[in-house]
Amino acid sequence: MTEVKKKKKGNSIVHPRYGCAIGAVNTVAAIPRGIPIGNCGPGCADKQYFMISFENGFQGAGYSGGGALPSSNLGENEIVFGGQNKLDDLIKSSLKIMDGDLFVVLTGCSGELIGDDVGSIVRKYQDKGYPVVYADTAGFKGNNLIGHEIVVKAIIDQFVGEFHGKKKKGLINLWFEIPYFHTNWRGDYIELKRILEGAGFEVNVLFGSESKGVEEWKSIPKAQFNLVVSPWVGLETAEYLKEKYSQPFLHIPVIPIGEEQTTEFIRKVVAFAGIDNKKAEKFIEAEAERYYYFLEHFSEFFSEYWFGLPARFTSVGEAAYNISITKFLTDQVGLIPVKQIITDNTPEKYREGIRELYRNISDGVSLEVDFIEDGYLIEQEVKNADYGSSVPLVLASSWEADVVQELKGLLVPIGTPITSEVVLNRSYIGYNGALTLLERVYTATVK
Amino acid sequence: MAKKLRQIAIYGKGGIGKSTTTQNLTAGLAEAGKKVMIVGCDPKADSTRLLLGGLAQKTVLDTLRAEGEDISLDQILKEGFQGIECVESGGPEPGVGCAGRGIITSIGLLESLGAYTEDLDYVFYDVLGDVVCGGFAMPIREGKAKEIYIVASGEMMALYAANNIAKGIQRYAKQGGVRLGGIICNSRNVDQEIELLKAFAKELGTQLIHFVPRDNIVQRAEIRKKTVIEYKSDAEQAEEYRALAKKIEENKMFVIPKPMTQERLEEILFEYGLMDLAAD
Repeated sequence: MTEVKKKKKGNSIVHPRYGCAIGAVNTVAAIPRGIPIGNCGPGCADKQYFMISFENGFQGAGYSGGGALPSSNLGENEIVFGGQNKLDDLIKSSLKIMDGDLFVVLTGCSGELIGDDVGSIVRKYQDKGYPVVYADTAGFKGNNLIGHEIVVKAIIDQFVGEFHGKKKKGLINLWFEIPYFHTNWRGDYIELKRILEGAGFEVNVLFGSESKGVEEWKSIPKAQFNLVVSPWVGLETAEYLKEKYSQPFLHIPVIPIGEEQTTEFIRKVVAFAGIDNKKAEKFIEAEAERYYYFLEHFSEFFSEYWFGLPARFTSVGEAAYNISITKFLTDQVGLIPVKQIITDNTPEKYREGIRELYRNISDGVSLEVDFIEDGYLIEQEVKNADYGSSVPLVLASSWEADVVQELKGLLVPIGTPITSEVVLNRSYIGYNGALTLLERVYTATVK
Repeated sequence: MAKKLRQIAIYGKGGIGKSTTTQNLTAGLAEAGKKVMIVGCDPKADSTRLLLGGLAQKTVLDTLRAEGEDISLDQILKEGFQGIECVESGGPEPGVGCAGRGIITSIGLLESLGAYTEDLDYVFYDVLGDVVCGGFAMPIREGKAKEIYIVASGEMMALYAANNIAKGIQRYAKQGGVRLGGIICNSRNVDQEIELLKAFAKELGTQLIHFVPRDNIVQRAEIRKKTVIEYKSDAEQAEEYRALAKKIEENKMFVIPKPMTQERLEEILFEYGLMDLAAD
């Protein structure tokens, strides 16, 4: 009698690629003059900072991020007797000492487990007109991608509030990358804002260097529509805004990279908005000209340097960068994708939609993407992928450095942790970013 | 005219008769034409047995554990006697996990599933005896129960517990809109019980809203998994529960309680002769 051994599904994950929900303190820190207040244990925010920001291109902490944010550092005393008084004191001091326009209290595991009524503490301040908001982001609720949307919803609910006025045509709310978590977010926001403004829009970018901070958040309800440029993060927010402010939304699941995608993107958004497309078309023309100027020059290297150029690649990372970069390399650069792995624990309800995107990634190319989080399994997949006779190109994270070295391949990191590069304002998206991405990939081949 | 939903929380010493009293009084309210929902906030999940005719109900937390977050209301909401809607939060077995967190999660889920429909007149939260952590105060957070009734008897421990619970209520009342609506005496046939309870309530700053006499018909109905009103509608005890329901319906006295010191509580007990009378 043959016994078929059932493969037990393991539940251990080595090489984590995301933080927990309270990592969303970084979301608040990314809002200009936003101050996160970590109502959590000592060290929670710091650990999240390392996973999401520091070991992710060595992005810094800024004024109110990283380990510099106010925290209640709940200890055993607070666990036993409640942490409300400590939090109250902390909010009072933070309002006094920190210079900010929006204070967001994020409650972690401890507070949520013991049932602290954070809402009643914060409401005291709200009633007096202070810009304080609270979000329940216990780590056990999920990863930092989930935490990000929880915080956004809390700010919309408690800070933006009611609105019954007129919408402004041409004003868009952008729901895009998660600050810090998406390594190139700062450069990406700059590029995407530039593109949308070039097309004739006014954009509430909400996060980063190009944002006007709380002024933009307050004007969220005035926007003509919401633009979600992301495979799944941001959809819940958009659905919520539709309900709350009767705002329609346009969902573009693949972040555009390169001329074809970006031009198509612009035309889609312009059509949806119903604005005049003359400005957009002029912008596209100018951008395309510049883009192909560089591509033309690049094509010499690309076609002549045939020894040592990769032909096949694997991509490992969270959904947004994974699909955009995979699509660009497959569709525009002509590389052959051999393994795609999404590592962000995408909620089940979005997975089939994302699978379909990979199945239709390019003319004549259909991919089956895997959702894996465990580093051991990922290493196996990367190692055993079929690279043919060319040098393996692996777009992943610093966790894959060892296996890529084993394969004598090229590693281009596209998601946390990234410990081999310092990232400031670079972008891999849009018109300009595509060129930077090409630089990065092909520099690796000549190193 | 839109119905004004009254959300009521029932607290009191473990075993004092909260669940029994709640189910019996809501049977009275429903009989009088009110649309009622009972939310059991006890991991024992025994707050709706008399209305559903048994402990068969799948709890919110069990359903969440088995099916994940995408569940529908009809998986956890069951209609019982006289159309009373019943929900059990559920929770861990004794000695493990955190029941308080369970209550937070399940009430949050009820909210997000839209359980609080427009046609409801009353929502009753039947909360586990000793309010030992923040989670058990979830029903009295802002936006939920605005009225609390504490079930007590003339036994010293029941009054001590009631006074203790009043401290928590005072804290929440000071930072929000919740108020104490009164004490319900679930009689244990203690000497001078009714006078004692009246004095206790007065000291707290509230009222003894109703004195429910001890009557074994309650137990006879319970063993048959019924409320008294369902078991024997014309029984005297059934009338008591109808009276309690009416008093709650018409209650206008809502206060921030003034919990007393242990010394003062013992003084009151002494006054009503508990210490003196018994010639043992």
